Amino acid sequence: SAAAPRPWRLFGAMCLLRLPRITQSLEKEEEEMAALMEQIELEKSHYSDHEIRKLEEEEELRRRKESAYDDEAPGKTVIMAQDLEDKWEQKLLRFEAAPRITDADKNNNRTSLNRRLDSNLMLLVKQKIGNQELWLLPQVEWQPGETLRSTAERAMAMFLGDHIQAKILGNAPYGIYKYKFPRAIRTEDNVGAKVFFFKAFLQSNDLSQAELKEDYLWVAKDELGDYLKSEYLKKVNRFLLD
Amino acid sequence: LCSFLFSSWLLQTVPFRGSHWQTSLLAFRASLPMRAQPKKKKKVDVKREQAQKDRMKKKIKKLEKAAPEMIPIEDFITPLKYSDSNRVRSLPPLSFEETERRVLLMKKWSLFKQKQDKAEKKAIQTLTEAQQEALKELRLESEELYQAAIRRDEGLFPFERDGPNYTPPLPDYDPPEGKCVDITKVYTQ
Repeated sequence: SAAAPRPWRLFGAMCLLRLPRITQSLEKEEEEMAALMEQIELEKSHYSDHEIRKLEEEEELRRRKESAYDDEAPGKTVIMAQDLEDKWEQKLLRFEAAPRITDADKNNNRTSLNRRLDSNLMLLVKQKIGNQELWLLPQVEWQPGETLRSTAERAMAMFLGDHIQAKILGNAPYGIYKYKFPRAIRTEDNVGAKVFFFKAFLQSNDLSQAELKEDYLWVAKDELGDYLKSEYLKKVNRFLLD
Repeated sequence: LCSFLFSSWLLQTVPFRGSHWQTSLLAFRASLPMRAQPKKKKKVDVKREQAQKDRMKKKIKKLEKAAPEMIPIEDFITPLKYSDSNRVRSLPPLSFEETERRVLLMKKWSLFKQKQDKAEKKAIQTLTEAQQEALKELRLESEELYQAAIRRDEGLFPFERDGPNYTPPLPDYDPPEGKCVDITKVYTQ
């Protein structure tokens, strides 16, 4: 039985998330608790082999200093535990890890993927809706014959090219944004549009192969307010975990 | 063991190829050198072999019925060298202020964790609500799309991802060479 054509136009939108690459910094309570746990663990522990060796060697050194003469010939070199510790300390200081706050952070370059490595970044593109240019999650109109998930995949491929590797989390949409067209273009069978959002995790690390045609940005959840309209933002925030 | 005897028994009766004693497989009885006395050994052989096989099978059953040996859990057994008295750490006892500070910190921590847990549960709740709303609207639109949406995604699990580290990876880092020798003891029952 043929259903009457609905007056809502359907869109599929993709929320592509770049997952964090470094751990978030600890809160004040977490730091205090971590220090306390370390202290308690130290108090409840026993001496390790290395520590016993260190204590014994310190005892011997002390005894040798107090007694005026040397028991063994001074030419004999014995590696002390303290020397080993110093050597390890030196080795650690010579290693330089990559900085947690990258250059992109300092320049606030919002098109780069290396910014804010400790939080989720999502893709925003500038699209023309009606006669306005808006910042939106990439969306494309649904065509009969495809599922909404493939609409969202098409939207992603349109803006980032075919070689993008993303894991889409399931067949079901995560959120919906419904809006009615302004009275000027509203007709009987074209009342408004429903945008269904899908979520995906970005798997590939660099997007140098992607052909980004339009203006794009990678923003974190707290920066979304700078770009999205309030109603749209409210619906999008509901399905985004911090 | 019994299968070996069985196969050796079989080998004796099957003629080997290229032997000058027989011309065809069917004529093997006639070509073997025959004595005047008919051989009665075959029945006794068969009985003896049968008895041997039964004894073997009984022995195997007895061994299998015996309970398997317990595998010791190495984590639960403290090696003796760590219960020496000189190993005990000697630290000054905690002051009153220190114990007070610890107790207050534990209370603050439990409150912090409770708030964190509540926030997480609320976030999950809004997530499921948003999804249910989206599915409801989709159902209103078209039943076919709704059915496609609630179908299970087979390719999603198993999902693997390397967790975040403390610092981002260095671009040209050459890790030092090293060999890892696995010395875990493997027990078989």
